[in-house]
Amino acid sequence: MNKLPQALSKRLSENAQLLKKLLPSEDILSYAFQTEDNIDCILFYADGMVNKELLGTLVARPLSATELKNAQTKEREVLVNTRFPELKTVENPQDMLKEILDGNALLLVDGFTTGFIVGAKLLPVRAIMEPPTDIAVKGPREGFIEDIKTNMTLIRKRLKTPDLRFETLRVGKRSDTAVAICYLEGTSNKKLKDELVAKIKKISVDVIPDSSYISAFLSPHPHSFFRSVGTTEKPDIFTAKIAEGRVGILVDGSPIAITAPYTLTEDFQSSEDYFISPFMATIFRALRFISLFVAIMLPAFYVSAQLFKAQLVPLGLALTIASSVRELPLSPALEMFVVLFLLETLKEASIRMPKYVGMSLSVVGALVLGETAVSAGFLSTPAIIIVAFSGICLYTVPNFVETGSILRWLFLLVAGGLGPFGIVLLSTLLLVYLVTLEAFDTPILAPFAPLTPHDLRDAVVKYDMQSLTTRPKIFASPNKTRLKRSAKKDIQNKGENAK
Amino acid sequence: MTITQSKELNGRQIAFFSAFILPLFKLAEVPSLLAKFAKGDLLLPALLHFVLQTAILCALLYCASQSQERIIDRLKKRFGKWTSVFYLVYAVYFLVYALLPLLDLEKFVYAVFYDTAPTLFSFAFFFFFSAFLCVKGMKTVGRVADLSLFLFVVPFLALLFASLAEADFTNLSPLFEQPFSSSFSGFFYTLPHFSDVTLLLPLVLNLRFEKKDGVKITAGYLLGALFTLAFLAVFYGVYSTVASRQHYAFSKIAQYFPPLAVIGRVDLILVYLLCVLLFFATALPLFYSVEFTATALTKGNKLILSATVNFGAFLFVLFCNKYYDRIYSFFGNALPPLFIAFNLFPLLFLLLNLKKDKSNKEKLYAQIS
Repeated sequence: MNKLPQALSKRLSENAQLLKKLLPSEDILSYAFQTEDNIDCILFYADGMVNKELLGTLVARPLSATELKNAQTKEREVLVNTRFPELKTVENPQDMLKEILDGNALLLVDGFTTGFIVGAKLLPVRAIMEPPTDIAVKGPREGFIEDIKTNMTLIRKRLKTPDLRFETLRVGKRSDTAVAICYLEGTSNKKLKDELVAKIKKISVDVIPDSSYISAFLSPHPHSFFRSVGTTEKPDIFTAKIAEGRVGILVDGSPIAITAPYTLTEDFQSSEDYFISPFMATIFRALRFISLFVAIMLPAFYVSAQLFKAQLVPLGLALTIASSVRELPLSPALEMFVVLFLLETLKEASIRMPKYVGMSLSVVGALVLGETAVSAGFLSTPAIIIVAFSGICLYTVPNFVETGSILRWLFLLVAGGLGPFGIVLLSTLLLVYLVTLEAFDTPILAPFAPLTPHDLRDAVVKYDMQSLTTRPKIFASPNKTRLKRSAKKDIQNKGENAK
Repeated sequence: MTITQSKELNGRQIAFFSAFILPLFKLAEVPSLLAKFAKGDLLLPALLHFVLQTAILCALLYCASQSQERIIDRLKKRFGKWTSVFYLVYAVYFLVYALLPLLDLEKFVYAVFYDTAPTLFSFAFFFFFSAFLCVKGMKTVGRVADLSLFLFVVPFLALLFASLAEADFTNLSPLFEQPFSSSFSGFFYTLPHFSDVTLLLPLVLNLRFEKKDGVKITAGYLLGALFTLAFLAVFYGVYSTVASRQHYAFSKIAQYFPPLAVIGRVDLILVYLLCVLLFFATALPLFYSVEFTATALTKGNKLILSATVNFGAFLFVLFCNKYYDRIYSFFGNALPPLFIAFNLFPLLFLLLNLKKDKSNKEKLYAQIS
């Protein structure tokens, strides 16, 4: 790339040769034609990335009927006669390459040192659909797709304000991926936005295939198994987070958008919480907290109760367990390890296997492995029930599945070695670790530690929308007001009048 | 709250620490000790402790309120490099202070967490946690204090209410039945457990005092005292004359709750929840010791320091747990003067700071005139 000439020659054949030399790949095509007065023209484009029909109708055909020799300003003549709405000129061959690789077409005309970029990009994109990881029974169903422009449109559609800003950066030496920083001017913390921009600019990597690469580079704790940034596949959630004062990041080629700063409570919130009554939302959030606690702790407590503290289990249940594990060849800890390992393996396999094979895999996993292992005396029924229940509970917080899974293994390990003492000790260690964990100046356990009473209104307990008059304090938004007092009164008055 | 403010200790966090973490030092061994000495009058020595501690705390808070600067900065300005002596003395004090709770915790862990005999090194893992805590900064204490609101109140109140059905408060009457000397012995013997001001000292030293912080912290401390007194009353109400033999009180107080007793020791879940904070509280003196030593040495590596202190503490627990009773009586009989001295030490700040602020004010008046 360093040896590229700074400008094109006036001879089209030389320019065409140069481009063919620089872009030798078979998917870079050229289409040659002549103007009315026999001046040669060539269109360069990446196959499959441009709308050929439009190129023919709005570029090649009108130019074929144009005479350029007698025109006073030839460049102007081309721009006027080409009926394409998105057209710009470029001088630098390096910019021309970038545009072709980005999906636009390049028009070269004999005798011109200028190239014309035709914005005929037509990238294959999938339809906007509900993301499988974030399904809502009530609420919007649109999800982000891999095309950054579409994703930006989905956000703009929801935030029709001039304050919504996108700042686009290019990351990846080879992939040259577009990364858009999205924020609300006057609402998002400017310091945070600048910090994110600076961090992204510093990324020096070959290829950015997905937003998770950007997340990894943004994280101040790359070895932690707790996330440092939030993620979502839904534009409504993304918009709500931006409106709270966060900064968002969209990455071309990824349907997963990033938001920062991130707090752990985000994972326990669902978009549905905002479309149902606050009372129900509170109950569901509490349920998610309890479920996660059960998912991580239950296998560990079961093992430690069997090995170290039988009093933890009611006597009747202890007798039932004792009768089912009496003839097992494995120790309680090892048995739980095996069952948990089976669950994780089945999970991994069912995600990656083709849909129809996956169905038979479930049958094999659930019936053959589970049922047969119990009847053969390899595993006990209580262990399978506990792991199954733990697995179900973990999926009540989909964004926490990976971390929760690691924590479950860790707790099981200490439970097998140290019993309930190990469980409590690890919990304390985790607590101390989490209270000190921060990303982008925001503690991950906020608003609980440090306690921010104001922000507790939308943490576990969900207040009604009228009470959420100000933005969360933890994001340090310069625009604190979300709902004006008068508007709140209006809403209340309307409610009373309706009664 | 701004982002910068969240990084510093604040009055609320110290208030929560006083209300929800300090009582934990008194819920395990103290009830049986007080019952042993003062029997039905066990509330009296506790009350005496709280009155004295509250008075010293108020004096300390008064010092903190005299300036926008932290006491620690003022001490540094006043004494320069000599402040290191203060840090080192307190570092040694906290190291000594940590030993008794560590021995208690070891016994507690083996009794409450295990039916079977655990290995000798099971408790060693506690020191990994402790070493990890010791390398963290002071803000960790504040943030854990914030969380203690949720971690303490629910299990503590649940345990208390679960034991109410079994409590007979007539066991506490008549008041002053025991000779005052018994209560006084109980007071002296439990001095190490009630040295609350020394545990609050590092936090108050680092506090940038704001309006109403004094009220918040004192109210927090009084709430913690109320929790302790209520617990002692219920504990003696449940166990009466056999209370002195009921070690690790909070793990036993609710074991006879009728609806739960049928299905097993469900109360242990609540006990374990409280233990999350208890472990933190027990490691805290070691944390203070490392923190103060690191501050005194300035160039010391905190990680090495933490590892050394915790390894030393581990060796102490490993080799001295056989002499538990002797160490206990040594702490209870020979060391009270040490604890009294360190508890009263903050009163010296009162004199120093008043003098300093007075001179500052005089300078200011002189400039104006």
